[in-house]
Amino acid sequence: MLDPYTPVLILGALGVGLGVVVIALSFVIGPRAPSPVKEATYESGLTPIGPGRRRVPVRYYLVATLFILFDIEVIYLYPYAVRFRQLAAPVEAGGQGVGALASMGVFVGVLLLGFVYVWRKGALEWD
Amino acid sequence: MTSAIELVETVVKCAVVIGALLTGFAYATWFERKVIARMQLRVGPNQAGPAGLLLPAADGIKLFFKENILPAAVEKGVYFLAPVMSMTVAIMAFAIIPLADAVRVPWGDGWLRFQIADYNVALLYFLGVTSFAVYGIVLAGWASNNKYALIGGLRSSAQMISYELAMGLSLVGVAMIVGSLSLSEIVAWQKAHGWLVVLQPLGFVIYCVTAVAETNRAPFDMPEAEQELIAGYHIEYTGMRFALFFMAEYIAMITVCAVAATLFLGGYALPFGIEVPWYLDLAVLLAKIAAGMFVFVWIRATIPRLRYDQLMDFGWKVLLPLAILNLVLTALGIYAYENGLLG
Amino acid sequence: MTMTMDVRPAALAPADVAARAQARFPEAVTVDAHGALVVDRAALIDVATALRDDFGLAYLNNLTCVDRPDRFDVVYHACSMAGGAPVAIKVAADKANPVVPSAVSVWAGANFQEREVYDMFGVRFAGHPNLRRILMWDGFAGYPLRKDWKEAYFEGAQKPFNSRWPDGAFFFGEEKLTEWKSNAKYPRGYTATGVEKARPDNTVMVLDAEDLKHAPDIGSERLIVNMGPQHPSTHGVFQMQLVLDGETVVDLQPVMGYMHRNHEKIGERNLWLANMPYTDRLDYIAQIGNEWGYALTVEKMMGIEVPDRAEHIRIILAELNRIQSHFWGVTFLLNDIGAFFTPMMYAIEEREIILDLLEMTTGSRLMCNYMRFGGVAYDLPEAFLPLANTLVYDRLPRAIDEMDSFLTGSEIVDTRMRGVGVLPAEQAIGYSASGPVLRGSGVPYDVRKAEPYGIYDRFDWDVVSYPEGDIYARYMVRLGEMRESLKIVQQALKQLPGGPIMGGKKAWQIRVPEGEAYGRVENPRGELGYYCVSDGKANPYRYHVRSPCFINLTALGEMTKGHKVADTVAILGSIDIVLGEVDR
Repeated sequence: MLDPYTPVLILGALGVGLGVVVIALSFVIGPRAPSPVKEATYESGLTPIGPGRRRVPVRYYLVATLFILFDIEVIYLYPYAVRFRQLAAPVEAGGQGVGALASMGVFVGVLLLGFVYVWRKGALEWD
Repeated sequence: MTSAIELVETVVKCAVVIGALLTGFAYATWFERKVIARMQLRVGPNQAGPAGLLLPAADGIKLFFKENILPAAVEKGVYFLAPVMSMTVAIMAFAIIPLADAVRVPWGDGWLRFQIADYNVALLYFLGVTSFAVYGIVLAGWASNNKYALIGGLRSSAQMISYELAMGLSLVGVAMIVGSLSLSEIVAWQKAHGWLVVLQPLGFVIYCVTAVAETNRAPFDMPEAEQELIAGYHIEYTGMRFALFFMAEYIAMITVCAVAATLFLGGYALPFGIEVPWYLDLAVLLAKIAAGMFVFVWIRATIPRLRYDQLMDFGWKVLLPLAILNLVLTALGIYAYENGLLG
Repeated sequence: MTMTMDVRPAALAPADVAARAQARFPEAVTVDAHGALVVDRAALIDVATALRDDFGLAYLNNLTCVDRPDRFDVVYHACSMAGGAPVAIKVAADKANPVVPSAVSVWAGANFQEREVYDMFGVRFAGHPNLRRILMWDGFAGYPLRKDWKEAYFEGAQKPFNSRWPDGAFFFGEEKLTEWKSNAKYPRGYTATGVEKARPDNTVMVLDAEDLKHAPDIGSERLIVNMGPQHPSTHGVFQMQLVLDGETVVDLQPVMGYMHRNHEKIGERNLWLANMPYTDRLDYIAQIGNEWGYALTVEKMMGIEVPDRAEHIRIILAELNRIQSHFWGVTFLLNDIGAFFTPMMYAIEEREIILDLLEMTTGSRLMCNYMRFGGVAYDLPEAFLPLANTLVYDRLPRAIDEMDSFLTGSEIVDTRMRGVGVLPAEQAIGYSASGPVLRGSGVPYDVRKAEPYGIYDRFDWDVVSYPEGDIYARYMVRLGEMRESLKIVQQALKQLPGGPIMGGKKAWQIRVPEGEAYGRVENPRGELGYYCVSDGKANPYRYHVRSPCFINLTALGEMTKGHKVADTVAILGSIDIVLGEVDR
């Protein structure tokens, strides 16, 4: 048996290869006549004022942080979700019954609590 | 021996899938132009070949022969990395889609699966790989040393990760009902029990909205908002480098459509237990993908763009709570079903 | 919501204003032969403030300058929002050292117009907040509208700038005819980037340098971004220089003149009638209105009566023109908020049919050259009436309703337009905004009602006005105006009389008696005014265009501040500029 992740690696390698070949080929085929004006940064036809890379407002970082927090919680839900049907079965059938709901409730509750907190704190406002 | 055959088989499958995706990309552009043209009282491409069918080929050739302009101020390594990365990630996400039922063949382990990789964590794989797509865009925006590109890159990073959340949550319901993250098992389940869209209507809607946002398509095409950012993150890219971004966008569209079809619309299976021979399975899936692509194009032709802050608000304050609600409803529903409360 | 203007108090007649102003400022104010107030330079601000506050002249229509042999006359036209003709105010400036106090503190709408006068005549305005060239570029030598400035190729003893082509490799046909021959020379060591480097600071902002470095508390930096001139959504070669904090606009400065061709100088070179086709090139979406305004002004000076049939034809074509122009404006606004051309394509289909009508009548779809002093050039062709009737009774109402039902209710259109780019009524008046921008701010002011020209007073129609002052209100005003225009065309078609289409006596050469006049029409984009001065010669002594697009842009910066980048495009789209008219 192949390692289960080999196919994906092969696909990725082919993809990268395709990209590299395409770019290289365009360098071989395409004409090239560089001039300072052509190579200038485009800003609606004018010379840009100031550099194009700047420190950006902190809001973007805030979004990234919130994403990491919530996304990890979402990922934790998956293993639980896969087993949920067995867990939610009645106790006599080998499940946990209401216990399954309750434990998930606690988890989602914590998630919601955090969500309500950032909302109330104004972290989701864009002005 | 077996593994050598499997290796060959896998490489062939990968090559075929990439070829198919590239063809799909090419004709998706043709399809989009034609459909939008019809919706706008125009004819659309009709010069290159019958009904303009050769237009994608002509476009490809044109892009190869474009002058290679390499802006002086770019960060060269990252600048070239970004499009390659975008496209590779888009292609890799497609690996988990089951294209048809497996058939018996006289080599290898005896089964030919029309699927590159069948993981038991396929859903997580899909979410993980698609979230990589944001890197291509952010890196392009940063490397270009261009203000439009920078703003486009920033917007898209914030947008994509925000919608990623709701997308992840909207698929939890599917996992709960089927009890598996493997796409082939999800399709098999649907073949037996009916389409999941019936049980997960809210999840389906949330998934569709987030899929449009994840692929940066109208009305969520913030990063490349033509009206203010001109072309956004790929503004400093020409020729094939630009085409790679385009490829990534369209292949991502095909992938999210395929995932929607697989998770919610029965995949390669027809509803009501109608059986088709294995060689028509693929056609069924393609038809569903084409329908999804049509909706993408239709939306683009119809709806104006949201503003950036409205988009973020919508993602965080509407879709995310709705996805959590969906999760809770699904949990309650399963509990009721398993405990016989539904009668 | 529509309002009529009948409830407003009657305004003072210009003669009354002149008499009362003279009574109040006997030292500083005299009245000249044309009924204009001639105000002493030193007393200008006092007089202007009194005119605004006590005589009701709240709205500055027009500000321009006339280069007389012995002085510069800076000419203001101001009117009351209650209607009536504008009052002309003149201030003389020295030939040697022309300085006049700036009226920006009285009428904020004077801002760009004073800059234009400075640019074109070199008259400086003391106290102006940002007195720099506006249509020509900084560093341009000379003042092109002065009489001693000669037009290159046509009159000139000097050429204002060198050609861009190195080694004289390229020449214009005209160069063979001139004394400079092939004069194309680059400055030594020219490269496109090199010249830019020679002027490192091409920012047009009035900015605190510290302001730009960073917002002190967070440490993020602001960006200066140029939108335009090579930009898909500035409606032409228009530039906006933005200061951004993330996505939010901190400051915005419009920059124009990329398409400047000194229309007014050309107009002063042209014969009176020969200038008619040039007016088409101003606002090329609303050509008939441009011609009408010019014809109206010259007819005022010549004292010609226009026959009834011609008036009807003018009104029919002008209103059809307004409809097609608003189709264009509304759907391009939709494009600006991100719709992918679909509404535009449907609107353009209707527009094309209206242009068909123009073509069959005037011979041209855009550059009509149709009006004449005293009438119109050709009578309506036979096929016009049937097609026009189907259009205004059947097809256009349906198209407008369809557009209304598809666009107006849309959630995204709503969220993108409502509450964005708000211009309160007082500010709109102060900034001399006109047309849908003014009426979208809840000021039901329409030249067609306020100072009716042609035969607008014979028809039954309403001024459309919405009080919100945002993009949505402007959009709704345009939609409403299309319906009102249909009403007017329907009535005009019904009453269309027979008879001649030209008034006045036949003459080979048009003689415009000495004098001056300010004529104005309500063009789709606002009040289009022409200020002409004749010295009895074959061509105008002074020919000035009051461009509504240009003046509406004065308020753009104010409207945009605090909104998002995406909103700037939408707000600009809601002003609906046409660069042919902004830059002239």
